[in-house]
Amino acid sequence: MNAALGHTGVLLGLAAAVTGVVVIAVGLARRRPQAHGGAVYAALALVGAVLATVAMERAFLTHDFSVAYVAANNSRSTPLLYTVTGMWSALAGSILLWGLILAGYIAAMVWRFRRHAADPLVAWATLVTLVVAAFFFGLMAGPADPFRTVAGPAPASGLGPNVLLQDNALVAFHPPVLYLGLVGFTIPFAFAVASLVTGRVGEGWQVATRRWTLVAWGFLTVGIVLGAWWSYQVLGWGGFWAWDPVENASLLPWLCATAYLHSVLVQERRGLLRVWNLSLVVATFSLTVLATFLTRSGVIQSVHAFSDSDIGPLLLGFFGAVVATGVGLIAWRGDRLRSPGGIDAAVSREGAFLLNNLLFVVFAFVVLLGTVFPLLYEAFRGQQVTVGAPYFDAMTLPIGLALLFLMAVGPALPWRKAAPRTLRTRLVIPAWAGALVVVACVAVGVRGVVPLAAFGLGAFAFAANVRQLVLAAHGAHRRGAGAWRGLVGRANGGMVVHLGVVVIAVALAAATSFGHRGEVTLHRGAAAVSDGHRIAFTGLAHVRTPARTATEALVFVDGRGPLRPAVSQFGSDSSAVGTPAIDSSWRDDVYLTIDALPTTASGAVTIGVTVQPLVSWLWAGGVLLVIGAALAAVPGRRRRPTDPASAPGPPGRTRPSRATRRRRARAAGRADPHHLSPDRDDERPSRRLAPSANADKQSEVHRREADVSVRAGSP
Amino acid sequence: MSTPRSVTLYRLAWLGVVLVVGAALAIGGWRHGTAPSGAQRAAAIEAGLRCPSCDGVSVLDSSAATAVAIRQAVSARVRAGESDGQIDGFLTSRYGAGILLRPPVRGATAWVWVLPPAALLAGAAGIVVVLVRRPSRRPAVTDDDRALVAQALATRPPDAADGRW
Amino acid sequence: MTEHVAPTRRLHTARWVAGGGLLVAAALVALLATRPPADFTEVQTPLVGQAAPHISATTVTGGSFDLAALRGRWVVVNFFASWCPPCQQEQPELIAFAYQHRRSTDAALVGVVFDDAASAARGFLRSSGATWPAVVDSGGQIALDYGVRGPPETFLVNPSGTVVAHLDGPVTSAGLDYWIGRERGVSA
Repeated sequence: MNAALGHTGVLLGLAAAVTGVVVIAVGLARRRPQAHGGAVYAALALVGAVLATVAMERAFLTHDFSVAYVAANNSRSTPLLYTVTGMWSALAGSILLWGLILAGYIAAMVWRFRRHAADPLVAWATLVTLVVAAFFFGLMAGPADPFRTVAGPAPASGLGPNVLLQDNALVAFHPPVLYLGLVGFTIPFAFAVASLVTGRVGEGWQVATRRWTLVAWGFLTVGIVLGAWWSYQVLGWGGFWAWDPVENASLLPWLCATAYLHSVLVQERRGLLRVWNLSLVVATFSLTVLATFLTRSGVIQSVHAFSDSDIGPLLLGFFGAVVATGVGLIAWRGDRLRSPGGIDAAVSREGAFLLNNLLFVVFAFVVLLGTVFPLLYEAFRGQQVTVGAPYFDAMTLPIGLALLFLMAVGPALPWRKAAPRTLRTRLVIPAWAGALVVVACVAVGVRGVVPLAAFGLGAFAFAANVRQLVLAAHGAHRRGAGAWRGLVGRANGGMVVHLGVVVIAVALAAATSFGHRGEVTLHRGAAAVSDGHRIAFTGLAHVRTPARTATEALVFVDGRGPLRPAVSQFGSDSSAVGTPAIDSSWRDDVYLTIDALPTTASGAVTIGVTVQPLVSWLWAGGVLLVIGAALAAVPGRRRRPTDPASAPGPPGRTRPSRATRRRRARAAGRADPHHLSPDRDDERPSRRLAPSANADKQSEVHRREADVSVRAGSP
Repeated sequence: MSTPRSVTLYRLAWLGVVLVVGAALAIGGWRHGTAPSGAQRAAAIEAGLRCPSCDGVSVLDSSAATAVAIRQAVSARVRAGESDGQIDGFLTSRYGAGILLRPPVRGATAWVWVLPPAALLAGAAGIVVVLVRRPSRRPAVTDDDRALVAQALATRPPDAADGRW
Repeated sequence: MTEHVAPTRRLHTARWVAGGGLLVAAALVALLATRPPADFTEVQTPLVGQAAPHISATTVTGGSFDLAALRGRWVVVNFFASWCPPCQQEQPELIAFAYQHRRSTDAALVGVVFDDAASAARGFLRSSGATWPAVVDSGGQIALDYGVRGPPETFLVNPSGTVVAHLDGPVTSAGLDYWIGRERGVSA
């Protein structure tokens, strides 16, 4: 019954998506898109996806082993949590999760733009999303059918999920959150394709969908951080990022999305880089499809395993189709849609954003090249080569340091053109903060040019971004809007995100440069000192539950504990895995594993002790990233996104401007009461560069004129 | 705001930053010249070797049987006084070049080292070309434009600044 | 009205860059799509064509074994473990191979235990009916010498003591015969 219900749901979703595609396509061809657009079909696709998900979860919860997928990923002794999460533990179920989230996003998009449903651009966007949905539902209906039934009678119990997926509750969060991120990029992609097809690039649709990109980016960031945390807690060597092909696959769209979120600001402010932004959106979505392909086809582990699976070639074909569509559209339309006007000076915020994009794109190139190179090498030369962590670390370190520097300097740069004295005055305090941190680190005993440079640049960037927040809060207070306004909104949320990135960068530098691995062999009741921590072993404990059989070592670290590193077996699986225990503090993490159990009853246990400084800062930085993303999503008290930058904001309680107050104070003979001077270019177009003050208006006038002409000229 | 005195102060402040950071890095980067111990050497070599039966984990981190065997062999050879290159050479003679986590710089794998800096340079060159080329395409300003702008400025409310980006 | 920028030189930058990107992506897709499927594969490791590393150790039944004693015959060195499903899968094939060559004695089999207890390996061999010697690999050094990643891996050593093939994955009797015949044809 569950299988039948599931099949119904999948087929309903597929039928709704295909019908929606056909209906919208016909409407567009006849130039009569319906007023209700794809709403009905999006809703039906969502119903189908929900139905299939409910059927799958029901099959899991009732241990319905007639469904082959349940038999492979669940057993009677699996605990409830891992029964529920079993749905996405393997290929077919994770495609189902992808389909569910995609249907949800499409429904949300259709609802959000329901007032514009008759607009051909929105119709095209809906069409594209339904095509993607049709592909994934099609996979579920055929090659990756999650509801395939077992041939013959249903087994009494199943195999249970993979051992490593039963160890930690994060399995309930990491895949869904990661998918919420990856799938979310479908919407901006759909709008980018729609903009290219209709030729309406300058209207601000990209800006309107910027919040969707931000939400997807936020989820993807959380998903990646959770994945790192999960590997840290489960896999036994204290590592949180191994430059594994699957990890790299999720990092690639993140890098492109981050580049996009920055360069779209240039588009919003100056109307530039339109085609480049479209390319970034297409690249981001293509990379999410590539991520699915790399993860699911096994092609990196073994080139030959790829053609053993049914789904690999299909995913690869879809990736090829997506890239061909995106690239083809850009080739067709790109040159006609280039924005007029240009970047005036290299040292300006536009220049900083260009450099930012260059660094992120090269970063993504390095990760992609390193991931795919073993494949290419084996295909061309028949021999195996490994591109491992040392390569990625060496290549991305200079890029990371350059990005830290840019994070400090960028927000302080004015638009259009920066005079040297601007940077000189704005950044002197943050620079001193960085210098003092380097001195303090050297004084404390930190050695090594690279970690010191990372700490110094990190402090520089941290201080520069805090400066921006303080000025924004002050400016908001002065305007009468409340100082908290200085913390929300796109720019300020972005500063908080930068703070999170700095914290993560510093933690990475510390943990990788100064981590130390040791081993202690202790008899019962003995203690030893390893890397400044006192490790005491008090005895073994044996755990036997239906879900887990384990031998635990009771260990006290600096008197805290007991921590229980163990060797565990889960469910009916006979393979034993090491399960580590971690003692975290703000200074460092002590990571314990059992390297060797005692061979005799009174023997000694060998405990692996890995001490890494500042690891908890990684997770704190991740929290800051999420907070910043949430703050950035708060709408500001400002004009609609599709208005030009010079439009007045909504009326509000405002105090007279600083210039007015200063004039009045001078007239009354008083000194200027305020000492803090918010950067003027963040408040209004710069007036210091007197000759080109009009040029700002001119370029905006040109932009609007150009947009009108493009729109008139589009078919 | 930018009096000659304040300019000098700022310049001094920046000079101070450079000097302080330079001195600190010089002190912090100077190694004391002690040679790494045998165990440290072995650990460094093992960190660059891939555990043959695992997925991208180094020999140093893995607990698999093959990794344990390689660690034993590396320790024995370090004690016997072999150099890093000799030990790497021995293992590649058994497992092939795929055992090294860092792809060799020579040979066909040089591409993976050369392409990223080349891409960075190409991208930077592209940006420079774009920046240098642009001004010549700026359209000329006509009187109609000036009139339009003057009108827009005249109708603009006086205190429209509200902290936009 | 404003002048429109007269497009003096249409560089079509976007078209060229996009075309280049499309070419790279198409090449990648074509490459990935044309990989042959997995089977037991011959692996190209540096050991192929070199002298077989020496094996001199005790067997699981307590006897001693020396690879040099088998010089003059084809030797199939098979790394296995009792816990490894493909090893269980290839056991019948190895039994068949041993049976076929029991009279001609031109080929001999020797197993090497990979990361397994000697007792478990002994039980595995006995229950499958294997009669060839299996060597205990203390510390995994024999596996290291041969460059073994994980069982089952099989090495074909010719009568002169040179490794002629490194086979990864469960082997078949027919496959082994094919390799021997091929090498004989080459050297004849």
